[in-house]
Amino acid sequence: MFIFNYRLWVIPLILLSSHLALAAPMGFEGSVMTMFDFNQNWREVGFNYAITSRDALGLNHLEFRSDDHKDKRVVNTVNYTRLLSRWNLTDAQSNLWLFMGLGQIRQGHIADGVEANTNSFITSPGFQFDYETRRIYFATTHKFYRATNLNHDTTSIRAGFSFYEADYDQTQPWFILETKYTNQISDKIEVIPMLRLINKNIFVEGGVNNSGQPRLNLMYTF
Amino acid sequence: MKHLLLVVGLGLSLTSFATPSYKVTVNGMVCSFCAQGIEKKMKALPETKGVYVELKNHLVVVEAKDGLTISQDTIKKIIKDAGYEVKNIEVSDHPIEHIKSGMDK
Repeated sequence: MFIFNYRLWVIPLILLSSHLALAAPMGFEGSVMTMFDFNQNWREVGFNYAITSRDALGLNHLEFRSDDHKDKRVVNTVNYTRLLSRWNLTDAQSNLWLFMGLGQIRQGHIADGVEANTNSFITSPGFQFDYETRRIYFATTHKFYRATNLNHDTTSIRAGFSFYEADYDQTQPWFILETKYTNQISDKIEVIPMLRLINKNIFVEGGVNNSGQPRLNLMYTF
Repeated sequence: MKHLLLVVGLGLSLTSFATPSYKVTVNGMVCSFCAQGIEKKMKALPETKGVYVELKNHLVVVEAKDGLTISQDTIKKIIKDAGYEVKNIEVSDHPIEHIKSGMDK
C-alpha cells in the first residue's frame, strides 16, 4: 500500500520558489537510446529501442541503497515507454510519458553484520511530464516500485535554464537543479545542481548533491 | 552571337536542372537531442542531397539531389512521425548553403 509522505510535497514547494528537467526518455523511431545514471547510492544503466515514434521497449538495471548502506535494492526490469501526449508549440514542446517496468528485485538488509536477501517480482509504473523551450526546462517524474513488502516511490523534479540559445550543430550548456526523494530508503531529499551539455545524440549531466556525492548522467542515441 | 547563344543555353540548362530545397517550418523543435530523428530520416531518403536544421527559426531545409524532387507529403510524414508538427513548407530554388547564409530571405 502506498504510504503517503509529506516529503513528496516538500519537493515541489522548494521548486515553486524558482524557475519552473530529463530529456526525452526515448529516441526517434528505429533508434536505440542508452542511459547511464551514477552516484554513490543510485546506479542505473539501461537502453530502449523505439519501435514507433511513441513506443519503446528496453531493459534496465538499477541498484540503490540506504544512506547507512544497510538496505540495498537490485532491480532488473523489462521496460515499456509510451508517449501519451505531446504538445508542439512554436517555441516550446511539452510531453506526458508513461513508464511500465516488470521484472525482479533483490532486497538486501544487513543486521548485526549478516546480510539477508530476498527475491521477488516487481512492477514499476511511472509518469513524467516535461516542458522545454530553448532556454528553460522543467520535468517532473514519479515512479512506483512495488513488490512483496516493498513500497518505494521516487519523485524527481528538474528545472533549469540554458546559458544561451544554441543552434542544432552547437553544444548547448544548461544549468539543471534536480530534487529527488525515494521513500523507505532514505530520509533525505537529494538536491543536485548539475551542468548539462547536449550535442545532438550526446547528453551529459554532472553535479554534486547536497551530501557531497558526485552524480553523472549520460545518454546516447544510436 | 555564338557565345551569347552558348551562355543563354547554359543558363537555361542550369535552370532546368535547378534542384529544389524544401524549407519546412516545424513547431515544437526546441532541442537538438530530440530533433536529430528528423535529420537522420530525411538524410535516409534516396532523393536527399543534404539536410540543414536551424532551431532558432524552427526550420528544416531539405535539398534534393540534382534533377530530383521530394514529395511534400513524404516530408510532412517524416516530421509528423518524428513527433513534430509541420507549420509550413516553402520550395526554394536555392541550395542549403545559400539558405544558411541568410540570402534566401
